[in-house]
Amino acid sequence: MSNRNKRRILVVDDEITVCKSIRQAILSDEYEVDMALSGEEALKKDRENPYDLIITDLMMPGISGLDLLKTLREARPDVNVIMVTGYPTIKTAVESVKMGAFDYLPKPFTPADLRGLVARAFKKAEGEDRGKGAVAGARIPAGYYYMLGHTWLKVEDKDQATVGVVPDFLKTVGIITQLELPKVNEVITQGNICGKISDADHFVHRIWSPASGRVIEVNARLVADSSVLRRDPFQNGFLFRIETGNLEEDLKGLLLAK
Amino acid sequence: MNLHRNVQKFFDLPLRMKFVLSFLVVVLFGGLVSLFFGLRLEHRTIFSLAQAKVRHDLASAWMVYDEKLNDIRDIVLLNARRDSIQAALLADDRETLFRTLVRVRRDFNLDILTITDRFGKVVQRTNRPDVFGDDQSADPLVSRALRKETVTSTEVVPRPELLKESPDFAERAYLKFIPTPMAAPRPEDHEENGLMLKGAAPILDEQGKVLGILYGGILLNQNYDIVDRVKEIVFKGEKYKGKEIGTVTIFQNDLRISTNVIDAEGNRAIGTRVSQEVHDAVLRRGVPWVGRAFVVNHWYITAYEPIKNIAGEIIGMLYVGMLEKPYIDLRNSVMLTFTGIAALCTVILLIILFFITSSITNPLRRMVLATNRIAQGDLNHQVRIGARDEIGQLAHSFNQMTENLKLANENLIQWGKTLEKRVEERTKELREMQDYLLQSEKLRSLGKMAAGVAHEINNPLTSILINTHLMLEKLEKRHDFYENLSLIADETERCTQIVKGLLEFARQNPPQKTYTSINELIERTTQLLENQASFQNVRIVKELDPSLPAIKLDRNKIQQVFWNLLLNACEAMPKGGLLTISDALSADQKSIEVRFTDSGVSIPKENVNKLFDPFFTTKSSGTGLGLAVSYGIIQQHDGKIEVKSEVGRGTVFTLSFPVEDHSPNSAQKGGTHE
Repeated sequence: MSNRNKRRILVVDDEITVCKSIRQAILSDEYEVDMALSGEEALKKDRENPYDLIITDLMMPGISGLDLLKTLREARPDVNVIMVTGYPTIKTAVESVKMGAFDYLPKPFTPADLRGLVARAFKKAEGEDRGKGAVAGARIPAGYYYMLGHTWLKVEDKDQATVGVVPDFLKTVGIITQLELPKVNEVITQGNICGKISDADHFVHRIWSPASGRVIEVNARLVADSSVLRRDPFQNGFLFRIETGNLEEDLKGLLLAK
Repeated sequence: MNLHRNVQKFFDLPLRMKFVLSFLVVVLFGGLVSLFFGLRLEHRTIFSLAQAKVRHDLASAWMVYDEKLNDIRDIVLLNARRDSIQAALLADDRETLFRTLVRVRRDFNLDILTITDRFGKVVQRTNRPDVFGDDQSADPLVSRALRKETVTSTEVVPRPELLKESPDFAERAYLKFIPTPMAAPRPEDHEENGLMLKGAAPILDEQGKVLGILYGGILLNQNYDIVDRVKEIVFKGEKYKGKEIGTVTIFQNDLRISTNVIDAEGNRAIGTRVSQEVHDAVLRRGVPWVGRAFVVNHWYITAYEPIKNIAGEIIGMLYVGMLEKPYIDLRNSVMLTFTGIAALCTVILLIILFFITSSITNPLRRMVLATNRIAQGDLNHQVRIGARDEIGQLAHSFNQMTENLKLANENLIQWGKTLEKRVEERTKELREMQDYLLQSEKLRSLGKMAAGVAHEINNPLTSILINTHLMLEKLEKRHDFYENLSLIADETERCTQIVKGLLEFARQNPPQKTYTSINELIERTTQLLENQASFQNVRIVKELDPSLPAIKLDRNKIQQVFWNLLLNACEAMPKGGLLTISDALSADQKSIEVRFTDSGVSIPKENVNKLFDPFFTTKSSGTGLGLAVSYGIIQQHDGKIEVKSEVGRGTVFTLSFPVEDHSPNSAQKGGTHE
């Protein structure tokens, strides 16, 4: 694959070591990886020569990751951005998804985690290229809350809700080989992992929980047959039911389908 | 100065003593004064009465005396007028005269009866007829009779004249002086003249010519007719303690010649003489004397008056005396009665005074005692005084004061206790608050630090993790370093988990509180636990109160706390045991208390306080954040978490959650959704 066809990725982090490590992790024949040590530098580089994917740290001196995302999206609304974040800034990460980031990845992570995510990002980009104009959110039923490109939350009762995966997410995932779901009674928090999907490409994709709460029911049908996930993502293909813990606050971090 | 000191001493005496002394002084003074005036009054009345009586008696004596004289006068007068006597005189018939006159003298108890011629020469004597012819015209009475007067008088008769009449008379008149103290001195030591009542009357013929003189008399010396008669008439023989009360004496000059005063031997006390004082007054100055006098051997109230002869010369005294003894005894008995009554009254008054002062001083003493006891702090003491007088009122006021004092004191003590209790409570609260704040502050700063560390450590961890994995990807599994690298990767993952735990702990998410049944939460949590293999040997006993109200809780967080406590308890009993979970309303109904009691290994004392510190753990695995996080959560619920651990009894964790209100609406509102 010539340089011309290689996907161009920009890694932004104020720490050179982290930049280098990330670059090392994803560097391959398919990807050409550049590095920027600040938001300003990243903007400058992207302006000169736009990247297919930008992986940026959320917490940076000067222009923060979130500012960078905003600025980038102002120029190119379809820009593909993955936010790298520390645990304390998960909330900000969730917000960044709401603002249009493709996804986020909490530190520390393994090369595999990152690669899976990067792969999904490009898959999504490919899909969008194919079906132009199709807005992901349009297919989500009204009244459903969702994390853009990830999971949905349907509030069933004052303190109960079901959680599922939006089709957009599934599109970025290959053939599902394994579905890992939380156990009943497990406590999950918004923006944190609540399940994993392994695909045929050996990528493990994390599923972010759209809300905090305690799992009170796991979709048994799904455990038996994961294909329901694709067939009926909003009804029978739900992942689990939770008893919400902090719903009001959580809803602020989600989008509402109309 | 001395007086002042004594007055001071007096005022220092006990009250009763003062009363008694003052009273005694007044009574004694009054008694003495009244005795003095009483005696004077008595003296004046009794003695003046006695003196008046004795004066009167003397007058009576004079009457007897004068009567005797009159008798003599009548005898001589009547016989001088007898014709037979005139005829015999004229005829100088001495024989007839003698016979007639002797009969007359005997009939009328005269001592002498003598007839003279017209010149005063004795014609015939009735005692000694052989002595006659002597001239009696010099005799004052005879000479007056010669001048045709009939006269009587008391006269001193010299011894020769007595001898002429009869030697018996001279013998009767002769009296040796008995030495008498207080008597006026006299050169003689005896008396030989006599004292005689005499009367003389002229014998006249028909022409009134004096033919002769008839004169008679009674010799008073040792003649007791008059004195005894007076005594009989005046005193009626009254006696006092065997002694004659009244005595009568005729003195010749100052010599007792006829008396019924008895001397020590029981004889009539003739021959003794009058005292100088009386002698001077009566014999010298011729004035009567009335007063006390010591007569022979007793005190008498006496009256003396002079006896004068016809020429007016004082020749003797007539005396009347009343024994003073009865008056003295009367006075003494009066005095004694007076004194006795006074003494009796004093004693009675003293007794009354004793009771009165007792009624004053006893209550006072009791009050003094009470004051002392109250001063010593015994406020329960009451003064019991029945009387309603001023002291009773004082005691009443005093009791009231004590009562008030006691009340005030009790209030003070109560206040003190309350204050103490409040201070204790506040101190406890403060200490708890301090602990709480300390723990909160510790947690907060630790949280901050943890967040900072976590963030800072994340980047290096990221690099390590990525690079390790990159290296692993490139190595064959058989490679020498593969295992080492895997270990690094795993441990880095562990670091990630620790950091995650730290951040979880540091995260201060506000709790999402909904009305929840504690019982339900406990049930759910234990259900979870029962599936865990590690707790197979732990028996769980639930003692839940079904009537507990629902309270607002963050269900997830509290469940996390329960979970942590359950895990802790089970880990403390690796070989199995009993875990008791109980809940109930607190005693004051203001909170719900949940207890987790295990029968496992107790926590050493020094560890109890560190239990809630982050990173404190006794386990080799685990972050030591479980209880710290639980603490933070309970704090967010305004609750409390406490641990008690005793060796051999295991450990009790007590959680308490405040109950906001008891409105029935809030109960079970949280509901369950199973």
